[in-house]
This record gives sequence, structure tokens and C-alpha cells, in this order.
Amino acid sequence: MAAGVAAWLPFARAAAIGWMPVATAPMPVPPKDKRRGHEGLIVLNVSGTKFQTWRDTLERYPDTLLGSSERDFFFHEESNEYFFDRDPDIFRHILNFYRTGKLHYPRQECISAYDEELAFFGIIPEIIGDCCYEDYKDRRRENQERIQDDEETDATNELVPPDMSFRETMWRAFENPHTSTMALVFYYVTGFFIAVSVLANVVETVPCGTAPNRAKVVSCGERYALAFFCLDTACVMIFTVEYLLRLLAAPSRYKFVKSVMSIIDVVAIMPYYIGLVMTDNEDVSGAFVTLRVFRVFRIFKFSRHSAGLRILGYTLKSCASELGFLLFSLTMAIIIFATVMFYAEKGSSASKFTSIPAAFWYTIVTMTTLGYGDMVPKTIMGKIFGSICSLSGVLVIALPVPVIVSNFSRIYHQSQRAEKRRAQKASKEAGQALVCKTNPNFEMHHHHLLHCLEKTTNHEFVDEKTYEASCREVTLVKQVSCSSSISSSPHGLTSCCSRRKRKTFNVPNSNMSVGLQGSIQELSTIQIRERPLTNSRSSRSSLNAKFEETVPLNCDQPYMTAAIISMPTPPGTTPEGDESTSSTDYSQANIVRVSAL
Amino acid sequence: MDGKRVETISARVDAAVSSPDSVEDELELSAVRHRPEGLEQLEAQTRFSRKELQILYRGFKNECPSGVVNEETFKDIYSQFFPQGDASTYAHFLFNAFDTDHNGSVSFEDFVMGLSILLRGTVQEKLNWAFNLYDINKDGYITKEEMLDIMKAIYDMMGKCTYPVLKEETPRQHVEVFFQKMDKNKDGVVTIDEFIDCCQNDENIMRSMHLFENVL
Repeated sequence: MAAGVAAWLPFARAAAIGWMPVATAPMPVPPKDKRRGHEGLIVLNVSGTKFQTWRDTLERYPDTLLGSSERDFFFHEESNEYFFDRDPDIFRHILNFYRTGKLHYPRQECISAYDEELAFFGIIPEIIGDCCYEDYKDRRRENQERIQDDEETDATNELVPPDMSFRETMWRAFENPHTSTMALVFYYVTGFFIAVSVLANVVETVPCGTAPNRAKVVSCGERYALAFFCLDTACVMIFTVEYLLRLLAAPSRYKFVKSVMSIIDVVAIMPYYIGLVMTDNEDVSGAFVTLRVFRVFRIFKFSRHSAGLRILGYTLKSCASELGFLLFSLTMAIIIFATVMFYAEKGSSASKFTSIPAAFWYTIVTMTTLGYGDMVPKTIMGKIFGSICSLSGVLVIALPVPVIVSNFSRIYHQSQRAEKRRAQKASKEAGQALVCKTNPNFEMHHHHLLHCLEKTTNHEFVDEKTYEASCREVTLVKQVSCSSSISSSPHGLTSCCSRRKRKTFNVPNSNMSVGLQGSIQELSTIQIRERPLTNSRSSRSSLNAKFEETVPLNCDQPYMTAAIISMPTPPGTTPEGDESTSSTDYSQANIVRVSAL
Repeated sequence: MDGKRVETISARVDAAVSSPDSVEDELELSAVRHRPEGLEQLEAQTRFSRKELQILYRGFKNECPSGVVNEETFKDIYSQFFPQGDASTYAHFLFNAFDTDHNGSVSFEDFVMGLSILLRGTVQEKLNWAFNLYDINKDGYITKEEMLDIMKAIYDMMGKCTYPVLKEETPRQHVEVFFQKMDKNKDGVVTIDEFIDCCQNDENIMRSMHLFENVL
């Protein structure tokens, strides 16, 4: 698009004639056109394959090898062409970048070879077009991971840095059991005891035959009460020790206590201690029995040992809204059908549908196609509605499962892709900021065009800050506003272009972005020469003087060279507050531009 | 074979479903694919040299491979030069000015004829073109409403962040100033003769007419 937009500049400038009769002020002088080298074809010989293109095409990107004078190093006098001893297949893409402004990444090329060619020709990979950028980054990441894996396998036998504190070693051992043998042993021991404890809870309730002095069958738990008690004590002791050790080793104790796993740990061992504290009182034993239910939560401790459980938990959490909606719609359906069934069955005698809540049970059992048969409709209307209920139940059950599955898959892939894109976007923008993709000549003319528009409308472009500042000032007293807005206008002069630069930066596909700072000096000189020096604008006139003396050097060279780096020091010596800020803009602009080159 | 046909049809349907605009555009433009007249004819009709026509065409063809520009593309291209404001209204008027045969698209000939007048024409022709631009309904008179539309379009290009702050009545005031200057017999409209007369007597405007002659 850069090529295209630059090609339409003559049109845009010609169309500006439409503003001329409307303007009341004289127009600024157009910049002198720098006639670059004669237009002509350039022959690029890349390892025998000849490419030809216009000189102007290459010079669109003056900060790359082909666009700058660096290519002269490769000029071959005998054949009057530029010879590069590089890969012609990849060069095709590089040359297409100059032609179309978009860099593509060919999938069949090796990523490292491609990177090398880009580096040789001075092209930053961040400007790869959106169509190929994701692919490029993925390949690059894979490659780097491969390199890292190679490095890691070399370094597996390296010892852990000995300067880690005991606490850190312990935490590391807890979190990653494969780091040392002790950790692994601990991991398996705790796993074993969790399993034993859960098994004991289950077996406790199995009927174990008759006790010697009782008639009825008792459960194993009551028969071998002491044995089970000892087992339970042992397990709880292990769990308590484990919990305390984890608490000790945790880098952030507060965060550890808040985490889900620690809550599960606490809930798993609390019933035992509460049981110890409480006596064999009849009143509280009922509550105590209920509390023993919580011992089953020990099974959740397995989630530390199994990644799959953790993923499942995360899935449910992330699909919570879908599940919630599902539950809500189910509830609606249940209430509707229960009501209908209740009123339908009201007539029949000895009907089990005693109330609407009682009919809930029937509805749920029917809709989930369980059909226990403990409640059945007897009237004809009841049977009709009952069949409608079961048919709709099939639908209701068949719908949510794929929805949840597809949701899970979508969320999972989306989060992966979104994270990838977010990470890529940051580096992409950082890279784009470094790239100077603009033609300075184009910038010069574009600036003049915008200046003509300013003259036609008698208003200036300013950046948002100055605009807001002037908005606020309008509400103040006229006198105060007048002087303050004037003193802030030098800001507007110098920073309007930097703001414009930022604005154009965000416009998609428009490559009139970074290089605008180079023309700041020109714009300011043009404006300052034409703005009449009124007596109230004293600060501006002194700024004029400063700029006049420093600017002429820049006039002939809108391109930044080393000479200009030393330039900003004179404005820096001004005592006035706003000028020092404008000069920092100035020097900053210089610095940025030089690095782009 | 049927399978293949079905495949291509479904692929096309998929493409159409996924990006309806581009497919529609493609159909529209491919039906209107345009090749310009020969270089010699254009050379005779415009005041550009052969080389200049070549450069212009290359740029034009790069942006619009089909050979014609429709209004949307025109607005897009023009808006890229004015990132701070909204250039679409002015681009609309410009489009109508370039599209001399009013067929909804600007071909290379229209484009180059317009540019020839603007860049290489006599002052009379340029002023004529400007009058044509302002006269939205092409009835030979510029009314205050037409001028206000044009003025608002120009001010829209400035955007919001200007110094001094753009007020609602600024375009209207500007229109008043314009009419005071141009409307000699105070009948509320500006005719082509009044316009040209007035502009020729204004030094600033005369000077600015020659501003862009070095564009190509």
C-alpha cells in the first residue's frame, strides 16, 4: 500500500486546487522537489537469476540494503549489474516486498535460512504481513524450542545451584517431584496414603457379618473400629505434616493459604481433629457423622498428582456461564412440565403428584430419560404431557453436551491463539516502530499538502493534549486564556507532527508513519516564516530566532545524518520552560530518527 | 467430474459467505474490467508527455488492477492523506468532479483528464474545474447550501484536534466571507462568470493556482 499511496500523491496535491478559491490566506511555498537519480531499471543478479526493477521501487525503503547506498558495494562493473551471492528463491520474496509493500513468508522455506536472508538485506521480520505473520512466528517459536530442548538435554546432569536456600529447595521439591529422589519418594508416599485413606473410608461402611455380641449385621468400621481409627490417625498425621511443610516452604504463605489445594487439604483433615475434640455426646454425634462426609474430599488431593484433573477443573470453571445457562433453562423446563403434570394429574385418585415440587422429581427423572417408574401419570392428559416431556428431555440432554465440548474446544483454542497474538502484537509493534518505511520525499510533499489545508481553513493541526488544554482554557477568562494558549502553541507547532506521526501509525495499511519527524524542522520553518510576528507573541518570536539559526542546516537535508545529532544543543540552552520541552521533543525526534536509519 | 464441480462451487460459496463484500466487488469490477485508450490518444487529449502518462498509469494500475476506481476505493485512498480528519465527504465531491460521465466509476481516462486540467491547464480551465467541483448539482450556480456542504467537507478533513478549536459556525462564517467576495450582484448565487472574474482579481488565488505545477 505504501507504493500505492505514494503514487496517488500527485492526485491528492492536484485536488488541493479545489481549496484554493475558498482560502483567504496565502498558501505556503511548495517544497523543492529533489530530483533523485535518473529513473531507470536496475539489474539484480542473485546467484545467476536476474531480477530487474525500477530504481524508484528499491528506493522506497531507504533503510534497507537495496534501498540505500550499501548496494553500491555489490555493484559489478564488468556486467553493469548488482551481484548478490545469495539464495534466489528467497530473494524473490524480498523483492516483492519492495514492489507491494508486504513481506510474505513462504511456508516451504526453512525459518533460519529465511531469517538470515532478511538480516542480510536489512529487513526487520516484524513487517511481515498479517497473512503470514502468525505462521512465521509459530515456526520461529518451534525452532527456538528445538534449540532450547537441545540445550536442556545437554544440561540435564547439571547440579541445582547450591546457593538455593533450604526453603526454596523444599518448595521446588513439592512442586516438581522429578527434581530429586527425596521429592519423588515423598510424592509417592503421599499418593499412597491418600489412596489408603479413601479406601478405608469406603471399606468402613461395608457390612462385615455379625459381631460376636450383637444380633444385627454391623459394618466393618464398627467391627474393627480400633484398626480403622489407627489407620485414620496415621493418614491424618501424614497429611498434617505435609500441609505444614508446604506452608513452611511456600514463598508466599498468604497466597498458599488462599489457594484451592490448601483449602482441600484443610477440609480433608479437619473432621478428624474436630472428632478428637468432641466427646461421644449423643447430641453432637449426628453432626459429627455428617462431618465425616468431608473426609471424601481427600480424593481431590489427587489433583496435585494428576494434570488431567486440573484441566478438567479449569474447563468447568471456564464453561461456568454455559453450564449456568444450561441449568437455568433446564430449571425452566422442569417447572413448566411439573406444573402441567400436576394439574393434569390432579383429577386422578391416589395420584403420586401431590404437589408441584413433588412433580419436579417426575419431570427430572423423565427428562433425563431415567424413568425410575416410581411416579407415573394415570390420566390421558397426563400421559400425553408426560410423553411430550420425555421427548423434549431427549432434546435437552442431547444439546448441552456438544455445546460444552465445543465451548471447551473453542475457549481452549481461542485462549491459545489470543495469547499468541497478544504476545506477537507487542513485539510486532515494537519492531514496526523501528522501521522507517517512508519515502522522505513523499513526506515532504504530504506535509506541504496538509499545510495548505491548514491555510485554507485558518486552523492548525494540533495534538490531543494541546487541544484539550485549549478547550479547558476557553472556559477561563479571555485574557488569561489568550496568553496561555499562545505560549502553548509552540508545543502545538513542534508536537503536531509527532502527534500526526502517532496518529498515522495507527491507520491500518498506511505506511506514512514513522519518518515524519524528519520534516518537523521544515514544517516549523515554513510556519514560522509566514506567521506574522505580533507583539503579543513574543515567546514565539524568540523561538523563531532560535529556529532560524539552527534550521538552515536541516533545510537541505531532510534526511537525518550524523551531523544532526549534535544539533539540538542550542535550543537546549533556552531558559524558557515551554521551549525546553519543545526542544526535548526536537532532540527526541532527532534521536528516534537516527536510530531508524 | 461432478464432484470436482461441486467442490469448486462449494469453495466459491464458502468464499462468498466468508467475505461477501470482496466477492461482490470482484464480480462487479471484473464485469467492468477496463483497458484505457492507447497511449497516443491520451497523449493527444491531455497535456502530459508519454513518460508522465506511463508513470501515472503504473501508479493507477497498481492501486486499481481492474482499471477503474469506484467511490469506496477513492474515499479510502484520499482518506489516507488526511489521517486526522474525515476526508470521505470531500472525496465524494471530488469523485463526482472526476467522474465526468457520471457512470459511478473513474477510469484512467477520467483520472488523467482531470489531472491534466489541474496540473497543466490554463488558469481559466482550473477555475472552471473548481467551479464544477463546488456546483454539486451542476446547474451552473453555486448556492449557499452547496457551498456550505463543500465547506463542511473541507473542515471535516481537519478533524477535531485543531488550534484554534473548530466551532460549529466556522464553516458558515467562511461561506459568508466567500459569498461576500464572490457574489457581485448579491442575488444569493454565484455564477461561473462572477466566480472567474472575482478569482482573477484576487492575487492570492491566482498565485495559488500555480502552486502544484511541479507535481509530476
